Amino acid sequence: MEYTRKFTEKLSVEQVKIELLNTAYGNGGTFFAKLDPRTLFLWYAYFGIFPWFIHEVMVLIGMFLFMLVTTYVARISPLIIFILCLGLLGQGGYLLIASLFFGGDWTSILPLLILTLKLSVISLASITVFCSMNPEKLSNGLLKIGLPGQISFSIAYGYRMLPTLLEEYHHVFQSFRLRGKAPEKHGFLYINTIAYFIKLAVLSFYPLLLSTAKRARTTVEALETKGSMYGFNHIEVKKLKLAGLKMKKRDYYFLAGSLVYMISLFLFL
Amino acid sequence: MGTQTLNNRYTLTQSQKMMVFILSMSLYGLSNMITELVPSAYLGPIEFSIEYFAFIPLTLCILFHPLYAAIGASLGEVIFGEIMLGQFGGFGELEKFIAFSLAMYIAGTFVRDPKNRKQVAAAALLGVIIHQAISATVDILKVWVGVEELEAVPGLAESVVVIEGFSFLNDVLFSGILFALLPTVYLVPRLYGKIEPLLGMKPRDRNDRYSLTEIIGPRLIATGILLAAAAFLFEFLSESGFNVEWEADFLETYGDWFIFVSLGAAFIVALITISVMLSKKRKTQHLKNAKKEEKVS
Repeated sequence: MEYTRKFTEKLSVEQVKIELLNTAYGNGGTFFAKLDPRTLFLWYAYFGIFPWFIHEVMVLIGMFLFMLVTTYVARISPLIIFILCLGLLGQGGYLLIASLFFGGDWTSILPLLILTLKLSVISLASITVFCSMNPEKLSNGLLKIGLPGQISFSIAYGYRMLPTLLEEYHHVFQSFRLRGKAPEKHGFLYINTIAYFIKLAVLSFYPLLLSTAKRARTTVEALETKGSMYGFNHIEVKKLKLAGLKMKKRDYYFLAGSLVYMISLFLFL
Repeated sequence: MGTQTLNNRYTLTQSQKMMVFILSMSLYGLSNMITELVPSAYLGPIEFSIEYFAFIPLTLCILFHPLYAAIGASLGEVIFGEIMLGQFGGFGELEKFIAFSLAMYIAGTFVRDPKNRKQVAAAALLGVIIHQAISATVDILKVWVGVEELEAVPGLAESVVVIEGFSFLNDVLFSGILFALLPTVYLVPRLYGKIEPLLGMKPRDRNDRYSLTEIIGPRLIATGILLAAAAFLFEFLSESGFNVEWEADFLETYGDWFIFVSLGAAFIVALITISVMLSKKRKTQHLKNAKKEEKVS
């Protein structure tokens, strides 16, 4: 429990908000941010699926190195890398412990390591792609590849509203804490304190449900005023909205470069 | 806010659907981000973690139109909990999306009277059990399909079944009661009648409901099975690399093309499902729009 407390101290709400905004808007100057969303989707479609079907360890390591470079170029925030590592270690370690427990031996490490390698290639690819696009670009890209307008709107809305919502939730939570009474004793393994915080976390959603309902109504009314409901699924409107998306030389160079790298990996390893 | 139809069926205008969708998406997304960031505690093999705040989509599915609330919640999870944290997992997410929407939708349609606490409690548990059962079955089946070849790694087959069983019970008993049953029973009667006017609609009452035959019609069962199959295929596909590791013999006898056959099959099933759903939706939408226009004129 001790490390949990340290972890939560470092991870304040403000910090999370800043990191998220940084993730959303902070990477405007990187190489990936200047690419067309379609290029990035295409690139992700390859690196997000094909690692599952590749069994040569050397090729996977080559892909992993490539992903490391792209992640570095895309300047991903440390918080996200940290969450990713936690997830990967947890998943791999859990399976390993389980299979050891049921009479497996250390030979099961190798397949699990390869699995972890694959998973990290895929996750790094998705991080590179999805963190390099600002919300506007991502939703435009999704609209371009044919997803309904509601989805691309939801993404833009999510990015826009999340900091506000998080702050509001934090305020409600803190005011509950101010007016409530924390348990006097932590109890066995901090159980009283944890139960208290969980209860507050759940209760805080009650005011939030009402205020978000109001906000949803305002949003939809604003959308209606702007005619967005009509615009979501009409071809002419889409065409006008997406006129700015163009494949440039840079996109073709990037795709060609990745292709050449992959082919050389298969040929020389 | 549009014309509220006076017949017994619970119908919403396009804007009201969008409101329910946005509400469910942003709230469940927010809760998802919180649960992602809260670390979990392990007590031996049992994991005490806040799996999800299932009470939010459950409450909204019970109070509003279940379909839009369910889809909104799933999309919120994908956007806030996955894409924004840079953890978007591709095909694996689709399985979660389908299973979760289905479970929440069924739980929402189950409740006929939001003021009846027993019904609300039963629906909350039902939703969690359906969701967890789908994900556990998918995970176990995944191993069972390749179980002969799994002998190469002793203990893995049993361990997966036991782990899944464990986590199913753990999720239903721990997360299910703490984060689905109790908060939903607390919230639904309190919010009923209060939150609907904020969205400009009248509360669901005893009379305007989905008739039982409509709920448990052949259509729902058929779509349920189809969606479950699609969910399984997608999950299997996303983990197939995992199985291939221990399936060397299988691959040698059938060749690499087998992967692509399963890949293709999954894609075809998904495409058919999606296109059928889309065309159906479009048809009903057209009908509704036509009806509405008639009424207005």
